[in-house]
Amino acid sequence: MQADNRSSMILQTTREDHLIAWLTALAITIHLAESALPSPLPGVKPGLANIITIAVLVRFGWRVAAWVGVLRVLVGSLVLGTFLSPTFFLSFGGAVASIAILGLASLVPGRPFGPLGYSVLSALAHMAAQFGVAYYFFIPHAALLHLLPVLMTAAVIFGIVSGTIVAAMFRSSEKRC
Amino acid sequence: MRPGDLLVLLLAAVLVSYLYLAFWGPGTAGEYAVIHANGSEWQKVSLHEEHEWQVPGPLGTSTLEVRDGRIRFSDSPCQNKACIHSGWLSHGGEAAACLPNRISVQVIGRDRRYDSISF
Repeated sequence: MQADNRSSMILQTTREDHLIAWLTALAITIHLAESALPSPLPGVKPGLANIITIAVLVRFGWRVAAWVGVLRVLVGSLVLGTFLSPTFFLSFGGAVASIAILGLASLVPGRPFGPLGYSVLSALAHMAAQFGVAYYFFIPHAALLHLLPVLMTAAVIFGIVSGTIVAAMFRSSEKRC
Repeated sequence: MRPGDLLVLLLAAVLVSYLYLAFWGPGTAGEYAVIHANGSEWQKVSLHEEHEWQVPGPLGTSTLEVRDGRIRFSDSPCQNKACIHSGWLSHGGEAAACLPNRISVQVIGRDRRYDSISF
């Protein structure tokens, strides 16, 4: 039993922390809902939770998006029970790579990218990193490389879908304001 | 859609088409071929030097011809000539065999087009 001598410990939270918590909760919800969908190929799924990461990036900047992206994978894996399993490392590698490329892309002067560009970039980075982890750590067999074109095609398609959804979200929220 | 988005889409299309060409395109050409006779390795032959190999078997001598990085059975003492009808082999993993004369040839390359073949 824990003693009660630390009766009041108040964690100072900022507005940004609350924002991150809210948005991450939203992303986790989508992540969980999506994990119930059957997938034709391991590693291929729509990645709809990425919608939140992209929307957050466009709306609140890269810092918040990075938090949301990493926390989503971490908490999602804890809830699904895949934490520290190969699935988790694939997911985590993908998330880190996609956040890294989003960081680079948002640094480009003139801000040339919209939701669609960010989303496709992030999907490609996610898939490439996931494939790299799978190839170098789990299945280092040349035959796996034959899957790469299909996986990357899927990444582009799902990237376009999520990006379009984000763009539509922003369009409709602008109309309402 | 922003200008950068279009660029990303274009680059993505280029990347994906490159991947299809690189990984689904024609297999890499073989470097050399291994000829087996009577169940054991008879000789490794380079596919880069033109040559006609006379391989002895139980029925007589089979001839294998190497030309332009390819190899084929060009003459065989067997009856049905299935080995000759296999034609030219040039890609890693491709193989032809003359079962009556107990001679087979398999091309070895960086990639193998097939994991295994059964007849």
